[in-house]
Amino acid sequence: MALYGVNSSISRAPLCSKLRDSMRSIKQKGLNILPNAEFSNEKFLYRLKDIGKNFSSDKQRLALGITALATQPFIDAHNKSVDEKTRKVSVARTIAKIIAGTLTGFLIRYGCIKAIKAFSQIPGKGVAKYKTIFTPKGVTDNTTDAFEQYRNAMGTVVALGVMVFTNFLIDAPLTKFLTNTFVKHQEMEDKK
Amino acid sequence: MANLFSNFKSAMYKNYGENPGKMLVHTGVLGWILSAMAQVSAVVFNDKISKEQKSFLIPQEMADAAINIISFYVITSSFKNLASKLVSTGKLSTSKIRNYIKSKVANPAEYIGKLNSNIEKDFPEIKGDYKAFKNGVDVVASTVGSIISCNIVTPVLRNEYAAQKQKEAIAQMHGKEQKNEIKQPAKVSMDSYIKMASMKYPSSGLKV
Repeated sequence: MALYGVNSSISRAPLCSKLRDSMRSIKQKGLNILPNAEFSNEKFLYRLKDIGKNFSSDKQRLALGITALATQPFIDAHNKSVDEKTRKVSVARTIAKIIAGTLTGFLIRYGCIKAIKAFSQIPGKGVAKYKTIFTPKGVTDNTTDAFEQYRNAMGTVVALGVMVFTNFLIDAPLTKFLTNTFVKHQEMEDKK
Repeated sequence: MANLFSNFKSAMYKNYGENPGKMLVHTGVLGWILSAMAQVSAVVFNDKISKEQKSFLIPQEMADAAINIISFYVITSSFKNLASKLVSTGKLSTSKIRNYIKSKVANPAEYIGKLNSNIEKDFPEIKGDYKAFKNGVDVVASTVGSIISCNIVTPVLRNEYAAQKQKEAIAQMHGKEQKNEIKQPAKVSMDSYIKMASMKYPSSGLKV
């Protein structure tokens, strides 16, 4: 209580108030610089709405993986801080990690989100109890956007738990195997 | 225990049910934290790494993890928050929402783009259209932010950091070699060290 009083006094102090006003003014100026944008294209808005509704973490992981393949090996290949040999191994290692990480990351997230959908049914006649394990209390409609987003979020959290193990069991050995394959291939190319 | 799980489900529903962009940022950070824990424990439980090497590698893995987590969170949430602000103040909008505001407010210019405006609270009648648009923008912003952070900023920062650490380690190894020149021959060749170092300091974390 006493602490709340101290905090309240500090936040009401003239200096704090001035700082807050200055910050607001800076933010407002920043906002003013940006132009207003208005979207009217129905197709575009439909796609945007669809993305907001259905673009879950599995798709995000896939998008991250695909763009990673386009950028990260390039960044490694142009890393002037290390010698050429290290650079080549680093590129091979990066590509291997992206492939292994994206494959397992996408598939496990996808599978877990699907599984959560199957086990978050609305309780009712003919619905087995185990199919409602992940249904939050008090939810009676499974067709809302909010419930769909909840399923995605819960599926992602479960997937992250699964991936703590698959990181060691699948990712690490697959990355090692792919790195060695790429390095060998690179060495053979260099010999030619 | 059952109660705890029930509370967890309710908290997930309440927090992320209407905010997919926030979910992507938070689960992304959680992913990086778990991957960092995996990286650190891979070193901690590796019997082939000596205690001396562990005392060097563990703090390094942790510093590495901090770069990943902080850059992901700062960049991705900044993108997401900026996009949210632009939508909630009406700076970024659809024709339908803007026309509605124009029909309800005498001077829309005094409302649109103002920091204290909040379309969701001020015009609850168009909440459905507003939410659908905002969720789409949030998800796009979070994804673009995560791509920039994971695939551009983090690799560049990590490469800089790894190269610096590699140089320090090689310099330290040279120092030790000189001291132990007569007593003990070097066990690791420079060639194999470079290979090991590049395997140890890759440009991207073991992202789960």
